Amino acid sequence: MKDYLELSELLARVRESVADAFPDRYWVKGEISSWSPRANGHCYMNLSESVKGKQVADVRAMIWKWHFPQLKAFFESETGQTLQAGITVLVRVQVNFDPVYGLSLFVDDIDPAFTVGEQALAKKKAIEKLTAGGYLEMQQELALPALPYRLAVITSKTAAGYGDFRRHLLENEAGYAFHLDLYEALMQGELAPASIIAALADAQEGGYDALLILRGGGSELDLSCFDDFDLAVAIATCPVPVITAIGHDRDFHIADLVANRYVKTPTALADLFLDMYAAEDEVLDDLETRIRHAVADRLGSMSQRVDSLVARIRLGLQARVHAHERVVQEQAAGIRLGLSRKYADLVRQADAAAHRLRFAAGARIGTEISNLALKEALIKASDPRNVLKLGYVLVTGRDNKVLKSVERVSVGDRIGVRFSDGSLTAKVDQVYTENIDKENIA
Amino acid sequence: MEEKFDYAKAVKELEEIAAKVEDPATKLDDIDALVGRSNALLKACREYLRTVKEKIDKLDKE
Repeated sequence: MKDYLELSELLARVRESVADAFPDRYWVKGEISSWSPRANGHCYMNLSESVKGKQVADVRAMIWKWHFPQLKAFFESETGQTLQAGITVLVRVQVNFDPVYGLSLFVDDIDPAFTVGEQALAKKKAIEKLTAGGYLEMQQELALPALPYRLAVITSKTAAGYGDFRRHLLENEAGYAFHLDLYEALMQGELAPASIIAALADAQEGGYDALLILRGGGSELDLSCFDDFDLAVAIATCPVPVITAIGHDRDFHIADLVANRYVKTPTALADLFLDMYAAEDEVLDDLETRIRHAVADRLGSMSQRVDSLVARIRLGLQARVHAHERVVQEQAAGIRLGLSRKYADLVRQADAAAHRLRFAAGARIGTEISNLALKEALIKASDPRNVLKLGYVLVTGRDNKVLKSVERVSVGDRIGVRFSDGSLTAKVDQVYTENIDKENIA
Repeated sequence: MEEKFDYAKAVKELEEIAAKVEDPATKLDDIDALVGRSNALLKACREYLRTVKEKIDKLDKE
């Protein structure tokens, strides 16, 4: 039978060894890889360390509830950051081994200065100093011209961002024109602030509408020069609007804070100016549209008025034509009626005339008939033979013509006397000229 | 360009023209002239935004 230990006995020895080996409290640097404050007030977490993305250490840790609120409040007020997973902290720990729960660190103090870093703290202080000095507002009081045209770019000639900016600004589709000058400066390292300050001083004499501090590339880690206090003062006190394009997504820099305005990228910087010009173009377009619409409205309302006049005239004409038609129809009807009446009258008159004519003709014929009878009677009555029968005689002269007077009768003339039944001749022995009365004839 | 073109002044005049054209009291006969003037101003303004103005710059470095 081999010698053996109970597990608890073994782990109790480990606990003792650990306690002996780590009798003090130690300041340890680590990244909070997990973070879970509990309802019971304790805060459980993991502290870890990575080298080039590979985790090389990881341990459970906890802050007891009698430490946690104070630690958290202290840290957050000092750093301006929330205590949470993902941030690196410097904490004071006690190493503890529990036979059941294993190894863990009890955290009882934290150093905010470490987390924020000496730089960050300095940055915060610098901002406070700049704020107190009124530097933050200085550039804000400068107005960028409505159409910035002369621009000075402070950057490193080799910066990739400068080429992007220049191309984007000058080769814009709309064809806006700009004047661009380059002022070279170091944009990285300890000498950068002084170099940029010198360039600013140089450029602000150039009659520019704006000075542009453009980083455009390089390491994302070495940006501390843009938090430099002296550079911030130089920017703030520059009499020309300064615009920064330092390009850091995670954080802002003091240079951004004091500048007239700041953008992230060189392209955004170019867009800032292009947009101002485009906005101006839009103002012009709007004015043009306004004028066009107003003119169209005027012409439209005029043609509408003309249309309505034409419509009214057409309507009026139609009404009049209709009225005339009605009158003409009525007149035609009247005439027709009149004509038919007149025709009837005429027919009646004609009938009457014919009637009268017929009647008159009848009467005339009757008269004529009786006249004829009369004339016949007269003619009968005047036949000389009838007269001779009545006792009258016909006396003829030498020429055997009937004598109707004594004028041409002379004494001794032989005359003929004719009776109804014969004649005789006689000799005139006496001629008397006188009025004959009835007795003398006999 | 004979005189230095005053862009802001031109835009102001355009705004005045727009107001006049919109005003029903403006006679139709006047509108023709206003539209002609506005077209000239718009053209000049748009050109101004796209014109390189190096001649007036004495401080050029290039």
